[in-house]
Amino acid sequence: MTLAIVFWAELAIKIGIIAVAVPAIGMVLGFAEMKLSAHMQSRIGPYFAGGRFGWMQLMADGLKFMQKEDIIPADADRPVFRWAPALPLIGTMALLVIIPISAAEFGIIQDLEVGIFYALAISSLSTIGVLMAGWSSANKYSLMGGLRAAGQLIAYELPLVLAVVGVVIQAGTMSMQGIVEAQTAQAWPYVVTQFLGFAIFFVAALAELNRIPFDMPIAESELVMGYVTEYSGFRFLFFFLAEYVNMFTMSAIAVTLFLGGYWFWGIPTDSALLGVIVLLAKSFVLVFIMIWFRWTFPRFREDQLQTLAWKWLIPLAVLNVIATGAFKVLL
Amino acid sequence: MVIEQDTTFQISEVAVSVEIETPDMTLNIGPQHPSTHGVLRLIAKVDGEKVTDVKPVIGYMHRGYEKLAEVRTYPQITSIVNRIDWVSGFANEIPFIVAAERLMGVEAPERAQWVRLVLSEMARISSHLIFMASYPLELGAATPLFFALRARERVLDLLESVTGGRFHPNFNRIGGIKPVYGSGPTTKKTSMDVPAGFLAETRDAMDKVLGTCREIEDLVAGNEIFLARTKGIGVLPVEVGADYGVSGPNLRASGTDFDLRKKADYLPYDQFDFDVAVGENGDCYDRWLVRLQEIREAVKIIQQAIDGLPSGPIQAKVPKVIKVPKGETYVRAENPKGEMGYHLISEGGSGPYRLKIRSASFSNISMLAWILEGAIIPDIIAIMGSLDFVLGDVDR
Amino acid sequence: MTPNPSDPQGEVEVEAEAEAETTEPDPLADFAASIAEAVGAASHSTEYETIKIFVEPDAWVDAVTKARDEFDLAFFSWLSAVDWANEVSVGDGPQEEVEERYEVMCALGDLTDGNLVIFSTSLDKEAPTIDSLVDVFQGAAWHERESHEMFGIDFSGNPDLSPLYLPDAFTGHPLRKSYPLLSREVKPWPGKVDVEDMPPSSQNPEA
Repeated sequence: MTLAIVFWAELAIKIGIIAVAVPAIGMVLGFAEMKLSAHMQSRIGPYFAGGRFGWMQLMADGLKFMQKEDIIPADADRPVFRWAPALPLIGTMALLVIIPISAAEFGIIQDLEVGIFYALAISSLSTIGVLMAGWSSANKYSLMGGLRAAGQLIAYELPLVLAVVGVVIQAGTMSMQGIVEAQTAQAWPYVVTQFLGFAIFFVAALAELNRIPFDMPIAESELVMGYVTEYSGFRFLFFFLAEYVNMFTMSAIAVTLFLGGYWFWGIPTDSALLGVIVLLAKSFVLVFIMIWFRWTFPRFREDQLQTLAWKWLIPLAVLNVIATGAFKVLL
Repeated sequence: MVIEQDTTFQISEVAVSVEIETPDMTLNIGPQHPSTHGVLRLIAKVDGEKVTDVKPVIGYMHRGYEKLAEVRTYPQITSIVNRIDWVSGFANEIPFIVAAERLMGVEAPERAQWVRLVLSEMARISSHLIFMASYPLELGAATPLFFALRARERVLDLLESVTGGRFHPNFNRIGGIKPVYGSGPTTKKTSMDVPAGFLAETRDAMDKVLGTCREIEDLVAGNEIFLARTKGIGVLPVEVGADYGVSGPNLRASGTDFDLRKKADYLPYDQFDFDVAVGENGDCYDRWLVRLQEIREAVKIIQQAIDGLPSGPIQAKVPKVIKVPKGETYVRAENPKGEMGYHLISEGGSGPYRLKIRSASFSNISMLAWILEGAIIPDIIAIMGSLDFVLGDVDR
Repeated sequence: MTPNPSDPQGEVEVEAEAEAETTEPDPLADFAASIAEAVGAASHSTEYETIKIFVEPDAWVDAVTKARDEFDLAFFSWLSAVDWANEVSVGDGPQEEVEERYEVMCALGDLTDGNLVIFSTSLDKEAPTIDSLVDVFQGAAWHERESHEMFGIDFSGNPDLSPLYLPDAFTGHPLRKSYPLLSREVKPWPGKVDVEDMPPSSQNPEA
C-alpha cells in the first residue's frame, strides 16, 4: 500500500517537474533569442520594452499569440491539423526525462538501460508532427515544407546515430547516467577523443531542429512559412515552444554525451543543485552557438543539405565509428 | 535570336530506375509571397522542387501613368514619375525633366545639375542598400538587413533634409531644382537649395556607408553558404540580356561595361572620376557584387561632388506657365535598376501628347521565364532576388 | 566607327554651340543617314538628339533585323505606339492637323557607344496589323503584348497576346486617344487651370 503511494507521489512530482520545466525553458530560450538577436542587429524592442531589460517583449509576444484566432483552413484534415502541434511538444517532454542532472539519488527522472537509444528514437517524433502539419494543412507550401522535413530527417538521422555510436563504444553503455559516470571516471569529457563525433552530432542536431542554416522546412522566403503557414494563435505558439525546448534538450543530450553532462573539474557530482547549474551552463553555450548561427548564416539549399549529409557526414561518422572500435579493441 | 538555356541540373541527373508517372503540380508563387517584392505572381509547374515551366503574371500594380501623364501639366508629372521605382524616386525624375528641358531648349544651371547628380547618386545608394538588405534575407540571413537599413537611413535623412521627402522628393523643376520657399528667382533672394550642414553631414554619412559596405562584405561575401547559394546560379549571358533589354547592374554583372552615366549626357558625369563595376560570370553572386561595388563608386562620386559643388543660380529662366514646343525626344538615364527612359512627344500643349515610360524592371523581368526554367524553388528565389526589381517599376 | 551622339556637357558644349554655325559635320546625322540608307527607310530625323528612322510596315522586321546584324544595335530597349488623332477625349489634342494613324516605335541600342535608334512605322487606323519582332528580339514579346492591349494593335506572329496589365474582363484600349479617363468624366479635376500665382503672404510679398 505505501509502495503504491510512493510510486504515485513520485510520478506526480516527476510530471510536475517536466510540466514546469518545458514552458520555463521555452521562455528563457525565447527571451535569449530575442536579446541576442537584438544585440546582433540593433533591434530596439528587446532593449527597452517594459522599461528595463526589455522584459515586456516576450510577454507581449506571448499575449499576442494567445489572443489570436485559431484558424483551421476549410479543406484541412481537421483532427490531424489540430493534433500536429502537440507531437513535437510531447517528444520534447519525453526527452527531458532521461537527462541526468546529478549522480545522487533522483539525479535523473528515469534512467533507462537504453537511454540514448530511446532519445534518438523519440527525437524524430517531432518530425512526424511536422509531416502531419504539412499534410493536413491543405496547402502546397505546407506540404513541401513537410516533405522537406521528412527528407531532412532521413538524411540526418543516420549521422546523428553514427556519431553517438562512437560514444557508446567508448563508454560501453547506452545509459545516459552511465555515459556521464564513465566521463567522470576518466575526468575528461568525451569531446577530446570524440571531437569528430561531436561536430557531426551538432550539425545533424541543427538539421533535425530545422534551425538555420538548415531551416528549409520553414524557409520563410521560399515556402512562405513552410509547414506552419496555416497555423495561427495558440497552435503556432506550440510549434515555437517545441522548437525552443527541443533546442535545449538536443543541447543537453550533446552535453551529456560529449561534454561530461553535470560533471565539471572540482565540482562535486552528487549535488543536484550544482549539477543542474553545470548542465544548464554547458547547454546554454551550445544554445548560444545555435542562436548565433541563426543570425549569421544564410540557408542551405535542399540538395546541398543532402549532399552534405550523404557525401560528408555519413562517411566521416562511419570512419569515426571504425576508428573508435579499433582503439577500443587495441587499447 | 532564340537561345536555349542549359537545363541540366544536378538534381535531375539522379537516375530513377522505376518510372512512375507523376503529374506536375501547379504552384502559385505570389501575388502575396514574401519574396516577390510586392505583387508579382509566378504560375510555376513544379515536378517535386524542380520547375518545369513558369509564367510570370504582372499588372497588379498597374496605375496607368502613361495615360495619366497625358492629362497633367509638365510640372505635375514629376510627382507621378517618382512613384514608378519608389526605392529610388529621385532618379526617376531626372530623365523626364531633361527630356522636357531638351524640347524647350533650356538647360539647368551648373549648380542645379550637380545637386541633381548628388541626389540621384544618393538614390542609387539607397536603392542598392535595399538590395543588400533584402537579398541575404531571401537566402535566409537576416542580419545584413539591419546593417544595410541603418546606413540607408542616414542617406534617406540627407535626401529628406534637401527635398522634404524620403521616397518621393518631387524636387526637380524644369530648368532647375526646387528652391526653399520664399527664395528663388521670383523673389530675387539668394537661392537656397541644400540646408546648412548638409555637406558635412554628407561626408559623415558617406564614411558610414563605406563602413557598412565593409561590414556587409565581411558578413555575406565571406560566407561559404552564401557563395554556394549564389555562385553559378542563374547565369545570364550578355547576348540574352541584350536580347530581352536587361540593363543596369544585371547586365554589367554579365561582363559588359555599358553604363549610361559614361555614355549619355543627362547629367555632368563626365566631370567625375569613377569606375564602372563589371562582373565576369553573370551569376547571382556577380549581380550582388556589382551592386556592392556600385555603392562604393557612388560614394566616390558624391564625395567629389560635394568637394567641388559650384555656386550660382539653381533655376534657368523659364516662362511662368510651362508649354513645351512641338517635338519629340527620348532621354535615357542610368537608374539604380537599369535604363530608365522617357519618350516625350509634345504637340505644344501644357502637357505631353504621349509619354512612353521605359522602365528598367519591366525589361529586366521579361526574361524570368527564360532564366527560371529548370531551376529549383530555392534557386527561383535566389535568382529573382538577384534581379532586384520593384513592382512599381514593372507595372508603371 | 560609329559616332557617339552624346557630347560632353558643360564648357565643351558652349564651344560646340559656337562651332555649330560653321557647318561642322554632324556625326549623329551621318550615323542616322547611314542606317536609313541601309534599311531603305523613307526618311529619318535627328531632331533633339534622337535618331528616328521611318520605315514602311512591310519592311519593319527586315529593317530591325538589319539594324541588329549590321549596326550592332543588339540591345532591345523598348517598343511602343502612339495614337495620332485629331479628336482626343483627354488632354490636349494636336495643334495642327495630323494624319490619323498608329505609329509603332521600337528603340534599339548598342552596348558599346551608347547609340540609340528608334524605328518608326505607321499603321492604318482601321486594321492595325504588323509582323511581330519576337523572332528577332525575344524581349519584344512583352512590349508587344502591352501595345496590343493598350492600342489594339495586332502583332501577327506573337504567340501570346493575352493581356499583360489589364484584368481579364476589361474591354477597350486605354491608351487610345478616344478612350476617356473615366474618373475625369465623373469628377472634373481643375488640374491644368490650377497654375495661378501663389497668394500674397508675409514670406512672399511680391506675389
